[in-house]
Amino acid sequence: MIAIVDYGLGNVRSVMGALEFLGVSAKVTTSPDDLFAATKLILPGVGSFRAAIENIDRRNLREPIVSCVRGQNKPILGICLGMQLLAEVGEEDGPSAGLGLIPGEVKHFPEFAPPIRVPHIGFNSVSFVCSQPLFEGLGDRADFYFVHSYRMVCTDAADVSSWCEYGDRFTASVQRGHVYGTQFHPEKSQTSGLRLLKNFVELEVPC
Amino acid sequence: MLKKRLVFALLWKNGKFCLSRNFKLQQAGDLMWIEKNYNFKVIAFSIDELVVLNVSRGDKEMTTFAAQVTELTRGCFVPLAAGGGIRSIDDAMLLLRSGADKLVVNTSLSRDPSLVSALAQRFGRQCVVASIDYRNVNGRREVFVENGAVATGMTVEEAVANAERLGAGEIYLTSMDRDGTGQGYDSEMLDAVAPTARVPVIASGGVGKFEHLAGWLSRPYASAAATANIFNFLGEGLREARTHIEDQGIPLAKWEFQWKG
Repeated sequence: MIAIVDYGLGNVRSVMGALEFLGVSAKVTTSPDDLFAATKLILPGVGSFRAAIENIDRRNLREPIVSCVRGQNKPILGICLGMQLLAEVGEEDGPSAGLGLIPGEVKHFPEFAPPIRVPHIGFNSVSFVCSQPLFEGLGDRADFYFVHSYRMVCTDAADVSSWCEYGDRFTASVQRGHVYGTQFHPEKSQTSGLRLLKNFVELEVPC
Repeated sequence: MLKKRLVFALLWKNGKFCLSRNFKLQQAGDLMWIEKNYNFKVIAFSIDELVVLNVSRGDKEMTTFAAQVTELTRGCFVPLAAGGGIRSIDDAMLLLRSGADKLVVNTSLSRDPSLVSALAQRFGRQCVVASIDYRNVNGRREVFVENGAVATGMTVEEAVANAERLGAGEIYLTSMDRDGTGQGYDSEMLDAVAPTARVPVIASGGVGKFEHLAGWLSRPYASAAATANIFNFLGEGLREARTHIEDQGIPLAKWEFQWKG
């Protein structure tokens, strides 16, 4: 059972819809019990970092999430804002403390010359750093849907699992052990996204 | 590199999807009918974005519309913009909760501009699409609201500037004269407005064949091309359109068209 964490600021329905299409057993939940009972977690997110982390804290979800990941070694996939929340610090309306599962911070895109506009919205190419289970079947690059004004800057370059080019190069996805994150929305990226979600669901759970 | 977009628009009127020509609607059928007769599943996997417009006249039946949006999201794995009939924050929240990623506003741009600003503030500019419908009136292209029935007296340029000022993140510009004719977009208008627009412009109205889509998208200031012409892109039509567009050197996102499990 995959637990999709509902902290009031995420497109949980779209993620759920994609998992249903894949025939995966999943549940949208706010309950720590469900998180502890799940095999893997998905942390979606649309909106502001500060509002999100405040919601997570107000619902007392921070400890359970971190405990599931660190204490129980449950794989977690953060999507878009959900990936950003995995960082240590977010500067949006901030600074505020993220979940601290991936060393790094979340910063606004720099100012670019027209016609490059922020937010970064649309399908863009993602280059995978090396072959890994999350990107199985996608070759060495694929197009995914992005919609964001902030991006994660990782302290440890080894945590960056793919890059995207927009104005300059930025972190498109991260992986640190069993902690995964995608800045793009796999549930909005046609079959490439469905493939990635299926790969996450089928990841072997570490003991 | 950011890709250009091929957008498909579904027109919903009181429970049925419709075909449109110069904004006169012809009822087609419900979603099952659309899926069966136009193989919508194939269309859904051939596009970059789906727009669902509530073109009901009179009672907009927003609750029923929202349920339809939810139904559509089950087989749609790209961003979905929904609107037509958004008259309050509650209407907007209903659509977003039902699965829409973006909101489409039209009449409210002139009738209730503070609502549009409020939506952009609350949900972000990228969540608000300004739909502007226009037609030729004595040599002047004027904007109409209420499903094209009521004149505003505004020119397209004025309406675009207004929408930008209110916080819209995109402009969905529809030529009522070209709508459903298959004669191609109103390029003259698009070329006049899109280069100086501060937000992406999605062209709409008139697409009949691949060349219309490619012709518009080849312009550097073109972000997206929309069509509601379900009839002309039956079966593999949109897949072929994508290939044709890419062959012209226009960047489009690529993915496996068929989900093989």
